[in-house]
Amino acid sequence: MKITAIYTSLLALVAAGAVHADTAQFREAFLAGEVDWAAVEAQAKDEGSVNLYYWGGSDLLNVWMDRVVAPALESQGVELNPVRITSTKDAVDLVLAEQNSGASEGSVDMIWLNGENFATLKRQDALFGSFAPLLPNAANLEWNPEDERSVLNLRDFGVETGGAEIPWSGEQYVCAYNADRVAAEDVPSTFEALRSYLEENPGKFTYIKPPHYIGNTFVQEAIYAHNPDGTGAEPFQQSSDQIPAAELARLITPGMEYLRDLEPLLLDAAGGSPRYPEDNAALDGLFLNGEVDFSCTFGLYAVATGLATGSYPEAAQQFIFPEGHMIKNKNYLAIPVNAPHPAASLVLANWMTSVEAQASKLQQTGMPSGIDSWKLDEAGAKAIAEASPGLVGVEQDALDANAAPDTNATLVDVIEATWLEYIERDSSDPIETIVARAYENLAK
Amino acid sequence: MSVSSPPAPSARLTARERRTRFWQMVQLMPIMAILVLLFGGALVLAILQSLGFAPWFGVNTFPDFSYFGALWGSSTFWASLGLTLYYATVSTVLALILGILLALALVKTFPSKTFYKYLYKLPLMIPYTVGIALAVLMLSNGGMLSRLAAFFGMIDDPSQFPQILKTHYGWGIIAVYVWKQTPFITLAVYAVLLGIGRETEEAAAILGASRRTIFFRVTLPQILPGVVSSTLICFAFNVGAFEAPFILGGGFPDTLPVVAWRYFNDADYTLQLQGMATVVSIGLVAGVILFGYLAAYRRYERRMGRN
Repeated sequence: MKITAIYTSLLALVAAGAVHADTAQFREAFLAGEVDWAAVEAQAKDEGSVNLYYWGGSDLLNVWMDRVVAPALESQGVELNPVRITSTKDAVDLVLAEQNSGASEGSVDMIWLNGENFATLKRQDALFGSFAPLLPNAANLEWNPEDERSVLNLRDFGVETGGAEIPWSGEQYVCAYNADRVAAEDVPSTFEALRSYLEENPGKFTYIKPPHYIGNTFVQEAIYAHNPDGTGAEPFQQSSDQIPAAELARLITPGMEYLRDLEPLLLDAAGGSPRYPEDNAALDGLFLNGEVDFSCTFGLYAVATGLATGSYPEAAQQFIFPEGHMIKNKNYLAIPVNAPHPAASLVLANWMTSVEAQASKLQQTGMPSGIDSWKLDEAGAKAIAEASPGLVGVEQDALDANAAPDTNATLVDVIEATWLEYIERDSSDPIETIVARAYENLAK
Repeated sequence: MSVSSPPAPSARLTARERRTRFWQMVQLMPIMAILVLLFGGALVLAILQSLGFAPWFGVNTFPDFSYFGALWGSSTFWASLGLTLYYATVSTVLALILGILLALALVKTFPSKTFYKYLYKLPLMIPYTVGIALAVLMLSNGGMLSRLAAFFGMIDDPSQFPQILKTHYGWGIIAVYVWKQTPFITLAVYAVLLGIGRETEEAAAILGASRRTIFFRVTLPQILPGVVSSTLICFAFNVGAFEAPFILGGGFPDTLPVVAWRYFNDADYTLQLQGMATVVSIGLVAGVILFGYLAAYRRYERRMGRN
């Protein structure tokens, strides 16, 4: 009896080891280009399922996952297991904990992420490897570094993607105003105009509290616009190793001063302390209730989608703000190194970058296409264009003309820490000291 | 523990006594396992991490008191601690006063008493989160009351409605706690009141004591055990609760549980150790206060000649 039990458990152990050796072997062979796509699909069928971890805060996206992605994968013999998390960091933490526990296989096959979370996984060596250019649908993306438009696929918050994540959606930081409350001639297009508007109408604006990435982005735009050298986003493409603390402090001081001066004009500041909403849902609520006149977020089609779902006021219009510094970036799908179903993950990544997937995602969730329209054939480009929910009050040309790149992930951490110290805690230390301290803490 | 081993000669227990003792042990095992493994394990891990032991993040400087040093050395920690204790104390005291009044009322006979006995328990069955959502729907600047005020022409902009939520006075937080905990305290006090009966109060009344004297000299000492146990539970919960201060609070400075959550949620995962130090600090503060409260009550009981 006992002996049988031991024997079975031993067998199970050996089998598990064999499976693990399989996934490791498969990974090496695939990255070396020795596995053709048909073999990947066959292996994906054997694996049978894929665990996709993603932020589950959007009902539209969750419905799309269940009704479109799941059946599409089903037809390829893979069961989609969507794991909806409240913050992407949870999935990153899980991957790192499993990697460091010495377990050969984790539970995460794929994460929807970008920016700091990708930088963390890369720093911890927890990525599957350069899989993106090897997928059949990689042809839908611009990989040629000669073409300057490829930078969004090659760099994520300034960190080289190295093909370890594949673009899934592209976004731009766009602000909307409530036309019932703001006259067309009063709509600000620069930070100075925003301040004069708020001097007339105190309390009618707020931004999401850093370290939330949407709040960080507003702070970064203010810093670009107040760059003392007038070079906008340019110096912020470097990593913290390339730019000394004192230099960074000099570059961000005017922007930080502006935000500090803006504080007494923000929502509820008259009542003692300004109110920064915690997340998008909170800001949308304030905008819908007329408590603020503006709402800024990553959302090219946020207004069109918000009007359709009733989460935006009926008079909401997008506008160009701040001129020349509207941050644009992409978000990605990454596969961790300890993914238990690597082949199924590759099949999912490949399907997600197909024209079919991108067009239906755009149509049903309002999330912009992550693939590059100039790389598609005419029918594909047309499908994407027709799926778009449409812009409200702005033109695509104007958005493109005012686009700015994101800040390097290593600097985002510093800027975030500076905001928390200088603006939230009202520290009396000079910005130079705060930045130097942030550099020290991050070097640990 | 081995049961089959022969009894040691020093243990002069009869077989029957041994058996009952063994069964007592067996019956205690499930709860002990949960307390020791789940609760104790989490506590030990939290303390280890707050002292710099987190090899899975590549951090191991155990024992390292710098996380506590950094935390206790900052003035914002003390501001957060003050806020945490302020919300917890005010809510518990208000709920206690309302709870005792309600329990005293429920002891009397009045029409449709059965209905009221069910009605007051309603908040007990509703989760905190729902209470928080109710507070947002009713009391916020874009909520029902504000909209009614606008409808009757009293205000023409949400910002003119008095700000109840999202301030450091914490009206919203206190309202949710009191709404949820008054029935709980009522339940505890009411059960004690039913157990002691009315005879002592009636005797005091016949001897000419005023209603006030009756309450403070007769009723209160008798219901004290119920009061102490229920306020202990409420206070401990209020110190460690996260959702209400997070959603209804006034932002920076936050209460300690929210501060801990912010550390845990930061993209820089090494800050989780700082978060653990915050969590352990909450445990320390709550533990010291509750221990002091219980010790004071025990001393009072001994002075009263009860054990």
